[in-house]
Amino acid sequence: MPATIVVVIGLLLLVNFVVINPLLAGTTGAVLRLVVLLAAAAALAGGLALVLRHGSDLVRGHGDRLGSAVLLAGMAAMLVAGLYPGSQGAADPVVRWLVAALLAPLIAALFAMLFVLLLGAMRQGMALRSRQMGVMLAAAGVVIALLLPFGGAAGEWMSGVAGWALEVPIGGVFRGLLIGVAIVTAVHAARILLAVEGADD
Amino acid sequence: MTDGPRRRQLPGWLWPLLLLGTLALSMLLEPAVPGGLLEVANPDASAAERVSDAFDGLPDDPLVLVAMDPDLGTYPEIRDTVRAALDQLRTRGALLALVSYTMEGRAVAAAEVERLRAAGASADRVADLGFVAGAEAGLVLSVTDLGAREGGDLASGFSLLGGGIAATDMVLVVGGVDIGPRTWVEQVATRVPELPLVAIVPTFMQPEVAPYLRSGQLQGLIATVRDAAAFSGPGAGAPPLGLLAGMLVALAFVVRALAAFRQGGDAGSDLPEEPA
Repeated sequence: MPATIVVVIGLLLLVNFVVINPLLAGTTGAVLRLVVLLAAAAALAGGLALVLRHGSDLVRGHGDRLGSAVLLAGMAAMLVAGLYPGSQGAADPVVRWLVAALLAPLIAALFAMLFVLLLGAMRQGMALRSRQMGVMLAAAGVVIALLLPFGGAAGEWMSGVAGWALEVPIGGVFRGLLIGVAIVTAVHAARILLAVEGADD
Repeated sequence: MTDGPRRRQLPGWLWPLLLLGTLALSMLLEPAVPGGLLEVANPDASAAERVSDAFDGLPDDPLVLVAMDPDLGTYPEIRDTVRAALDQLRTRGALLALVSYTMEGRAVAAAEVERLRAAGASADRVADLGFVAGAEAGLVLSVTDLGAREGGDLASGFSLLGGGIAATDMVLVVGGVDIGPRTWVEQVATRVPELPLVAIVPTFMQPEVAPYLRSGQLQGLIATVRDAAAFSGPGAGAPPLGLLAGMLVALAFVVRALAAFRQGGDAGSDLPEEPA
């Protein structure tokens, strides 16, 4: 049964892609709206699970109680700002302020630690005496040296070589991976559509 | 007998402080550097010219959809470029509508809308369409149905958004996460092939996105620091001396680690410890 549903939905989307028909477009739109609703339901379930988990930790005194309290307070603040009577929801100025002045800078600050964390990871990797880590670091060292912000002809040549490294060897490897993934995905999707495998999955 | 004098090693906790101190000092010394000695990334103007050509091809008072879905971690790399692009579009009289298909993108878009509002952009010129749920399914639905639910709140200039993405004059895709220029080419360009797409992405996405520029499915792409330096103009981006200091610190760590690896010693004993 699940395989039949997948085949019908897949064929419907494929046919709608090449055939212009209002009835077909309406049916496809309804299916897509169902997918959107499912995604929203999954997000809601995830949020509720998070509240239950941290609420339970807070009540029972398990785990990081301060962290749980901050998380629940943050969720409550965002919900109140988005749902108070007269609120404009996600477009409400209070929500926008919470996101722009608190959430985005806090997350950006966490990501700003990436530089130090990467150096820490490098330390651990080298302590393991991994040859792959050695190759990776050597390549990183060369690229950093080439991208040093010097002006003039030398700087132009260095950044040109760095650009070539990005566009030719790195680009080639990356696109090879993407093409491989695309072929495998297409073959797998075709096998499911043709019910060659996974009929009972 | 001893093995000889042991070299004193700095404690691990001191390295982050030294790093921060070096970066702070470099920022303070920045004004003392003579112009031209240091440059950010030696600008490459070819990509910037293609984007400017795409902007020049817009009609009068165009309606431009800005798909803000960057990654919070890499957004600082493209932030100045995105702001420069938004400013250029506003200078050309464009109506900007910002929309996001990811939560991260929504956070960045909210911050950028606040910045534009503070810079004097009114709701008649810049509209916040918010977050569209459903990832790729939501994106496909948006092709013909975008902003309908906010229709009552939008200024009259944005009424065309009721016709979806297909009714806009251009889409500026700010990428960095799963839903980026590749998704737009796959899901939107195939349905609305005449709609110009321009993208701004961090360097790590360049190998993934560059083929779409060569195939003509993207009209413009800013994807490297060199492109961004040319597009944003002098003075944008990280200060060169601070950048140099950070890169030299990283390079010193890499060289030290590789030297220790080659000698067979403790490769990372004096490198910073990863925080718990």
